[in-house]
Amino acid sequence: MTSGEIHALLTERLGDAVSLVDSVEYAHGTAKRAVSALTVELPRERLHDAVAALCDATSPHVTVISGDDRDASLILNYHFNVGWGEHGREVVLTLRVTLPKDDLSIPTLTDLIPGALTTEREGHEFYGIEFVGIPDDRNLFLPEGTTIHPWRRDEAATKLVEPTVKRLVKWETRDGQ
Amino acid sequence: MDNKRINLDLETNASATTYTVPIGPVHPALKEPIRFTFELDGERIVGVDIKPGFAHRGIEYMGMRRNLIQTLYLSERICGICSISHPLALTQAVENAAGIEVPPRAQYIRTIIGELERVHSHLLWAGVGAHELGFDTLLHLTWNVREKVMDLLEQLTGNRVDYAIPIYGGVRRDIPEEKLHLAYEALDYYKGLLQNMLDAYLHDKSVEMRTKGVGALSYEQAVSLAAVGPTARASGVKKDVRQDWPYFAFADMQIEAITPEAFGRTPTGDVYDMIIVRLLEVRQSIEIIERCLEVLPSGELMSIPKVPALLAALKNAEGEGIGRHEAPRGEVFHYIRLEAGIEEPITWKVRAPTYGNLMSWVPKFLGDEVADVPIIAASIDPCMCCMDRAHFVERSGDRTTRLKSELVRLSREKTRRICG
Repeated sequence: MTSGEIHALLTERLGDAVSLVDSVEYAHGTAKRAVSALTVELPRERLHDAVAALCDATSPHVTVISGDDRDASLILNYHFNVGWGEHGREVVLTLRVTLPKDDLSIPTLTDLIPGALTTEREGHEFYGIEFVGIPDDRNLFLPEGTTIHPWRRDEAATKLVEPTVKRLVKWETRDGQ
Repeated sequence: MDNKRINLDLETNASATTYTVPIGPVHPALKEPIRFTFELDGERIVGVDIKPGFAHRGIEYMGMRRNLIQTLYLSERICGICSISHPLALTQAVENAAGIEVPPRAQYIRTIIGELERVHSHLLWAGVGAHELGFDTLLHLTWNVREKVMDLLEQLTGNRVDYAIPIYGGVRRDIPEEKLHLAYEALDYYKGLLQNMLDAYLHDKSVEMRTKGVGALSYEQAVSLAAVGPTARASGVKKDVRQDWPYFAFADMQIEAITPEAFGRTPTGDVYDMIIVRLLEVRQSIEIIERCLEVLPSGELMSIPKVPALLAALKNAEGEGIGRHEAPRGEVFHYIRLEAGIEEPITWKVRAPTYGNLMSWVPKFLGDEVADVPIIAASIDPCMCCMDRAHFVERSGDRTTRLKSELVRLSREKTRRICG
């Protein structure tokens, strides 16, 4: 599938709920052959429908969910590989969903792609996201009973480490010295 | 699909006669920490729960507090075995975010070092696999053979691991004309040995008996559990970033994902199939390196050679990017977001291949025996850190400790038993 076909499929199934963020091509090699990446945004209540539409059409590979804490909201990027197995035709698809900080819940995708469990459990422990319907929400990487969410920027514990830009060690007095 | 109903809940599978056996975090098969909690019915594994995280160092958090050049060298230390895989994905992500071009010669050099790394990593794994089966002669033979590629990496980059080759917009070192003969010599050495390696691993009776049908993973399971790399390909899943999303020099080639079909075998995803895939990938990597050396383009190594200018360009960059590399264990994926005026990345997410393969362990273990634990655990070539003992806990709460040597002994006894 091409980026255009994926976008058309999602638009056909979800209508106006899907908005295109970015469709890019990166050129590689001496031949400048392009590979594609597509990012679309959608409301959280339509994420499950979008992935179901992809599953009907192909076998999307869920790579990982990355997060981006923006103070009042948390942006989740669901990264998929769509169209693998075809020479140079794979597209890296990112489905972007924004969650308000006061309600970090989103439906699980594990009923569609069981392999999404690892990254959802990570999102649960590192951001405090509630994946509704997840079969197992125990901590995966962090010890049981951990109360902080290390990748959130609004928690006191995550601000303990000062940036060390240009410093190798914290006792260096000036950047770059 | 049955694979969608894989049960990760130990209690459901447990019957009155089962008992729980936690193995790890220090571990019999791996030199890195992870805890498996097995539910056993006699010797048969009927359930497994996996707990990683004992080597979680918060690298992404650290990276988001350093400038991008510091983060590049930090990324090199995510993995000690495939130490160029993460820098290759990170540089790609940053180059995509900042719109930095990479000269063709640099793309080829990145490809060559990446493929040399695959050769050494697959040979390292093959040796570990042989050791887990109690076939130490093969371990020593394989690791002896591996030294040639380690020497070549040192001659080309200055280091056996952590080569510090990629930089944003290119590579830091050239492969000069006068060193090409070293590379050709190493490639000839491996070409002459590959058939012997295939014979030693794939036509050996004891290896066949210990690996065929052990740790199987169906095509459907591999797809639905999001397996990557040789773990997926051994199950017949033709998924390989070099083929599907050709980057660097792979864009100028037609790479084919290798599955056991290339050896005339219907894929089952068992340990034997994983040996096939990895050994054939060594041959494929040698062909790729040879091709790259033949057509190595001339030209610049870096698009922004001066580090202060590069730092300034990175500081002014705004945007987001993804980077991917087919590492020896599977796809490495990096996502990064940069904001103008801020030196450190705002967001950095790393997805390593073992993360993708974590869930594939469950169906691989189910139905097999305790003595198969070391080879199945090692079969996906996991990347975490070190082991010495395992605890066995009976349902009654009585705890016994078994040493690594005992589990290895069990595995070796099984080899001897089935070999008569």
